[in-house]
Amino acid sequence: MIRGLKIDGKKEMSLSEEIIDFSSPDKVYVPLMNNNTPCDCLVKKGKKVKKGTVIGIRKNMDFPVLSPVSGIVVDIDKCLYLNGEEVPCVVIENDKKETVLKKVLVDDIAKYTKEEFVELLKKCAVTGMGGSDFPTFFKYKSDASFLIVNAVECEPYLTADMMLVKLKAEAILESIDAIRKINNIKKCFIAFKENNDIVRNAFLEYIGRYEDIVLSPVKNIYPMGWERHLVKSVLNLEYERYPSEVGVIVNNVSTIFAIYKALKFQRNITKRIVTITGEGFTEPINVLVKVGTDMSSIIKKIGKYKGEKLKFIAGGPMMGTALSSDHIVVSNNLGAVTIISDTEDYKNECISCSKCVNVCPAKLCPVLIMKNIDNVNELKKLHPELCVECGLCSYVCPSKLGVRDFVVKAKGKVRQ
Amino acid sequence: MKFIKENGPHIKSDDNSSKIMTRVLIALIPIVCYAIFKNTILVYFFTSQSFFSSLHPLFMIITGVCVSLVSEVLWFKFVLKKSFNNSIKETKKSFSIIPGLLLSLVLPTNVPLWVVAFGAFCGTIVGKMLYGGFGQNVFNPALIGYLFISVSYNSLLGSPLNAYELDALAGATPLTNLTSLGYYGVYDSVVGSYGSLLNFFTGTIPGAIGEVSKLLILVGFLYLAITKTIKWRIPITYILTVFILTAIIGYGIGLGLWYPLFHVLSGGLLFGAVFMATDPVTSPVTQIGQVLHGISLGILTVAIRFLTPYPEGVMTSILFMNMLVPLFDKIGVKLKYAFKKIYIPIIIYLILVVVLVLTIISNVNNSKNNTVDDVGNKVTITETKKDGNKTTYIVTSKGWGVIKAEVEVVDKEIKSIIVTDKTGETQWSEIEKENYIYKVITNQKDINNLDAVSGSTFSSNALKNIVKKVLSEELK
Repeated sequence: MIRGLKIDGKKEMSLSEEIIDFSSPDKVYVPLMNNNTPCDCLVKKGKKVKKGTVIGIRKNMDFPVLSPVSGIVVDIDKCLYLNGEEVPCVVIENDKKETVLKKVLVDDIAKYTKEEFVELLKKCAVTGMGGSDFPTFFKYKSDASFLIVNAVECEPYLTADMMLVKLKAEAILESIDAIRKINNIKKCFIAFKENNDIVRNAFLEYIGRYEDIVLSPVKNIYPMGWERHLVKSVLNLEYERYPSEVGVIVNNVSTIFAIYKALKFQRNITKRIVTITGEGFTEPINVLVKVGTDMSSIIKKIGKYKGEKLKFIAGGPMMGTALSSDHIVVSNNLGAVTIISDTEDYKNECISCSKCVNVCPAKLCPVLIMKNIDNVNELKKLHPELCVECGLCSYVCPSKLGVRDFVVKAKGKVRQ
Repeated sequence: MKFIKENGPHIKSDDNSSKIMTRVLIALIPIVCYAIFKNTILVYFFTSQSFFSSLHPLFMIITGVCVSLVSEVLWFKFVLKKSFNNSIKETKKSFSIIPGLLLSLVLPTNVPLWVVAFGAFCGTIVGKMLYGGFGQNVFNPALIGYLFISVSYNSLLGSPLNAYELDALAGATPLTNLTSLGYYGVYDSVVGSYGSLLNFFTGTIPGAIGEVSKLLILVGFLYLAITKTIKWRIPITYILTVFILTAIIGYGIGLGLWYPLFHVLSGGLLFGAVFMATDPVTSPVTQIGQVLHGISLGILTVAIRFLTPYPEGVMTSILFMNMLVPLFDKIGVKLKYAFKKIYIPIIIYLILVVVLVLTIISNVNNSKNNTVDDVGNKVTITETKKDGNKTTYIVTSKGWGVIKAEVEVVDKEIKSIIVTDKTGETQWSEIEKENYIYKVITNQKDINNLDAVSGSTFSSNALKNIVKKVLSEELK
């Protein structure tokens, strides 16, 4: 059974016909981070770079960090990353000429071998844009029979993926078809929430052209976008640790679009759609921004903050991190910034109501983990390492306790 | 601009513990209203009781609520040394009136107010605050209060019949009646004297203040289950277990489907299962744990009802199972990650059930076959003293326990029966009320046609057997 909760999506707030293009900033701050691992800097102050120039590298995977603009490196500094930490970054002054390293235009994007494809994903630094920032080439190293494209976007408030699908459905389908042919995948599924007509209609327009791509509506619950839930819901399969065990690849829909760029132009993705939303902001909207843009400059141009006791969240309200400042830079995996008021919590003792146990999608017992937090032996039996940090336990808690914080703490304790 | 930095999630459900408590109270409102209607208004209009004394059950409820609230405020103020305002705030968060309210609802209608106050006080202080307050207690506070009352002032608990019912039905509650019948009786003697099973369902039968109307309890349960306020698995499995076990027992002793229904609808089972066994703090959190908890409660309740002289068993079962909650949760967690091992508890429970059911069936069938005429092995004459024409027999006779008595006989006629030991007889007060010993002596010639005291059949039969044995000894 797929466990989750229906949460008010509040998506209509930031939906609009068009997105606003802010993809020409004066300066970009490219964080030297990949999947929460710091990367080494490969450029010095004063170096001229083009779009696609390697500016950093993740040593243990030999995975590059590429420049999103052309211009001159003016500084190696620190910037606010979406996990709330100050991380090293390369500051590049944008000459706005958009010169690329090598101009390529591939006509038939399915004409790659599997090896070339994997190498290309690595060269173009394609990472999971749904939030993980994990190098995508890794998923395609082994053979798979099914591809699930994740267009669920179950996190409330967020509409970036929805807008991407609305605007680029054709390219996304082309990309899926190419991936299918290159990797000999039997069938591809596009998973989206059953009540999301925007995504359904956008794909329905073009999907007739492709045989082995199926639209696969899933339940409107949170966290439906979790890999395990998707594989279970779409294919009725279960696995131990990774979907590859059962021959399944799960990719976010924006990652699919990044793959499209890699296949078509053989270069990295330099822009992405970011939702700026929440009750604490006057003009909720989706914007197109360069990777490395300081979000505060864009927010200033669009609207104002409203209300008191505001929280500025990198990501959505469930899994996002509250930041103390709005100077966050856009990274590949930043889908949204949400500005909402702090909740007035009626805190109380734990009453063992078992709501967190009933709701946990990973089937844990958060309340028992919380009560045994100092007893590592007991914690091991409760398997906190399976937690996906979706936050539902804290969300449902009638005593408003930070249950997830305890489980995350337990996770660390068990891993030691 | 500065923003609040705090761990997520940054939105919360709009449910909170104060709303949970409100929902429990809403579910209790119809039950309280009906209790007041049945035990005060009906009593006032249909009996000669004064207005003030017919309000007694209402005063009991008010006393229970107020005492548990006040004793908690005082604890915060004087033991934890909080300011008065903070003490009030704390009690608002801690479901403070629930123990007193539940306690007053499971008591008989005529308990002195100071006993109710004593119970509510002990329940709150000993059952809750001494354990570290709300959320830390191991036992259900209301039941701790009940335990204190029934241990200290059992005699003051009195009969659960209100004045109106005492007029209408001379007798005990259905379960006490069944117990004294030896758990076996035809529909007419077990249910018939209270109307039909429909009366059991709607609550027009004698019982504790708040537990009689099964209909309203079911409505409350549905409301609480739909709003996801209580752990619904516990009452469902609890009641289902009692139903299945008593159905098998009923089949084994040759009674129909009304028998398990009678057991489910009698006494405090539904009320206890819905409102006390589901107390969140003192029940398991894992789903498997909750199911095991419910099944264990059912088994224990049936065992207490059939194997001990206590007719009820619900409160005792819940109180006892509170202790095993951590165990159920441990099993629940274990089975969560190794579901294939579920056969282990299933086998254990099956064995338990089979042993229990077989024991009960054979017990009931035995006592069913042992009719009153089978005097020989029920009464023993331990000593005979002759003094002129007066003979004194010292006898022991099986009632609930063993009755010891000295019987004086002059000219083959019993002159007096002095009961020297009656400690095993739980319903002896009924015997005394009816002056039954006197009746036995005056009717000694026609003892077989003397009716037993309703509600105390075992002790009555024991006394009758003494007469028969002694007279037959004289005739030898």
